Amino acid sequence: MFKHNFIYTLKILGKNKVLIFWTFAFPIILGTFFFLAFSDIENNEKLDVFPIAIVENDNFNSRMGFKETFEVLSDDNNEDKLFDVSYVLEEDVALEMLENKDIVGYILVLDEPTVVVAKSGINETILQVTTDQILSHEKVLEDYIRKNGNSRLENFVKVMMDDYSYVLDNSNKNMSYTMVEYYTLIAMTCLYGGTLGLTALNQNLANMSQRGKRIEVSPSPKFKVVLSSILASFLISLIGLFLLFLFLVFLLKVDFGLFGGHVVLLAIVGNLAGLAIGVAIASCFKVKEGTKLGILLSVTMLGCFLAGMMGITMKYVVDKNVGWINMINPANLITDGFYSLYYYDTLTRYWWDLLGLLIFIGVMVIVSVLALRRNSYDSI
Amino acid sequence: MTVFKTFLKVLNKCKAPLILYTVILIFFGGFSLKTNEVNTSFNAYLPDVYINNLDENAKITENFMTYLKKVSNVVLLDEEDISDALFYRDINIAITIPEGFNRDFFLGRKPKLEIQCTGDYASSLVNIYIEKYMQVANTYRVLASSEEELLRLINGNLDLKTNVYLKTSLDTEAMSKATTYFNFTNYCILAGCIFGVCFSLFSFKQKNIDDRIRISKINYKKYLMQLFLSTFVFAFFLWLLYVLLGFVLVGKIMFTYHGLIYIVNLFLFTLCALSIAFFLNQVILNKDTINGIVNVIALGSSFLCGAFVPVQFLPDFVLKIARILPSYWFIHVNELTTSLEKINLITLKPIWQSMLVLSLFTCFFFLMSLYVKKRN
Repeated sequence: MFKHNFIYTLKILGKNKVLIFWTFAFPIILGTFFFLAFSDIENNEKLDVFPIAIVENDNFNSRMGFKETFEVLSDDNNEDKLFDVSYVLEEDVALEMLENKDIVGYILVLDEPTVVVAKSGINETILQVTTDQILSHEKVLEDYIRKNGNSRLENFVKVMMDDYSYVLDNSNKNMSYTMVEYYTLIAMTCLYGGTLGLTALNQNLANMSQRGKRIEVSPSPKFKVVLSSILASFLISLIGLFLLFLFLVFLLKVDFGLFGGHVVLLAIVGNLAGLAIGVAIASCFKVKEGTKLGILLSVTMLGCFLAGMMGITMKYVVDKNVGWINMINPANLITDGFYSLYYYDTLTRYWWDLLGLLIFIGVMVIVSVLALRRNSYDSI
Repeated sequence: MTVFKTFLKVLNKCKAPLILYTVILIFFGGFSLKTNEVNTSFNAYLPDVYINNLDENAKITENFMTYLKKVSNVVLLDEEDISDALFYRDINIAITIPEGFNRDFFLGRKPKLEIQCTGDYASSLVNIYIEKYMQVANTYRVLASSEEELLRLINGNLDLKTNVYLKTSLDTEAMSKATTYFNFTNYCILAGCIFGVCFSLFSFKQKNIDDRIRISKINYKKYLMQLFLSTFVFAFFLWLLYVLLGFVLVGKIMFTYHGLIYIVNLFLFTLCALSIAFFLNQVILNKDTINGIVNVIALGSSFLCGAFVPVQFLPDFVLKIARILPSYWFIHVNELTTSLEKINLITLKPIWQSMLVLSLFTCFFFLMSLYVKKRN
């Protein structure tokens, strides 16, 4: 009976095109969209060379600090190149370039240097900070000469231009926040697996389908029938998840950190959590199948939203302010588990996430068992 | 009127997703359009910084922290939250001032500051600030005769600022927020129109209902026209709703010529979304697939064309592909409007050209839906 029901549930679920779309195809399609939209976003946030213009008038040429600094910072051979500089003779030309968005801003040296920009932004601030720095150097020299005259000026300039770095960078190398988007995608797929569990269980409920009525009156043990249906849906959702992993790892090059076995364990437990929530909704709510699916999809989407699918800031905001919500949110526990494997060197947070998922599964199973056991129908 | 009433009854059944799209838009709008202050002067970008001071709060250490507070937002956090705050960009950089920093500096040992950063623009900017401060401080250390003079020289130097002139009469921040709102309506209009129209028209398309209508006394052409007008009224109200929301969320800009361009552009896009819905209604054969198709089309267009992610962050090849989608031209007009300084025939040319392309898409999908219907 177990084997028979297992195989037939596999066939029934496998032929349900809508379910297969949501559990197999949709996560891959969404992953592709994520990849296309986010593939360049982090590169664009890094400090990069940007175009500026300089009005090359007599005032500019007489300020050696400005002239030399911008020559160095726009030199192609300089590793720290910051600007693509266009030298123009008239301010009108620079202004036209600014209006056409060909440059971020331009420098005009009259009595004092002025930076002209089209908006407030980070590149504009960097341009301002660079000119501030040149003014700062000029002031240092001025202060030195005022105090000491020109004696030992060369030595002083050496101290001033010392390229010693005062910063010791201990940053984590795994800082790619777009990874979290892919982790929420996996969480969504795990929870969408619940639709399979829900549909499979509905097939065994007398108030939901003709097949359920027949099973209810048959002598076959209910436990075996339900368990085989759930296992069949678990197998199908695992296949979907496996395909998604292949897609993410080999095509999109998503980084899951160095703990391969832990990734697999979390994926399996996450999938079980999805299945458990599907079964719990199927057994607790005495409504139409469409409504049950609606409840499951709404819970999934809400969970994924809070876990950062529509913007990772949301996960951080919820974690920081109402942390208990994300502690009972399976989508977040799955996402957070993958995040901790990727970002942290230790596994403490991962094990807490896994424990949270296991408790969630336990609660869902108890709720389902209580709702399913000793059912009797007066009229259906 | 019977047809219109029936259309509304069917539409009422799918109100939940339509409300959901609107709620998402309000949430998104409220979240990203918080400030409405007029801003036409230059404001330097302030990165978010966490400082962990392990040294005594005196002299150079204190002065350095005061400087950082001037050029950045110093954020207060618990130490165990720093890693998460960095990853989620709540802070751009965490700076640790080591024990004995003040002493080592005055002894000329050039003490290093430990940093953990996100590696983005903002953290690079803070790096520049740190290096600048330390370089100035170290240079003046050689020059100053006392610690007090040193701090005075450092502060006098760092207070020097270049004049920055903002060459625009536009409130660029508010304009870009308005564009963000209208770009996001791409998803809501597309998903709302396709879902509402396809879901409602599918009920009329079912064979038994269509057959009953055909043999009834109602003029079939009149019936089709009423159905068409019903969908148009629905799309019009959807457009009106999002425009009114725009007035509430975006504010003053909506009363300018720029606001008018946003509104007209949204109207043209609504018509285009309606034509896409007509076309899909002709090709969709199973009601259960509507939801999947809506999600793929609306999310796909929104991700690829810059409704969710700002256009400047999208790779070039994605933008090239996106040109074949109407959403690209809708968002393109919004982006052009953001930086539209003067309004005249010359500056408006790229805008009406893009609107024309959008209208051509509308015609194409209407004609395609007519063709498929006739062939069916």
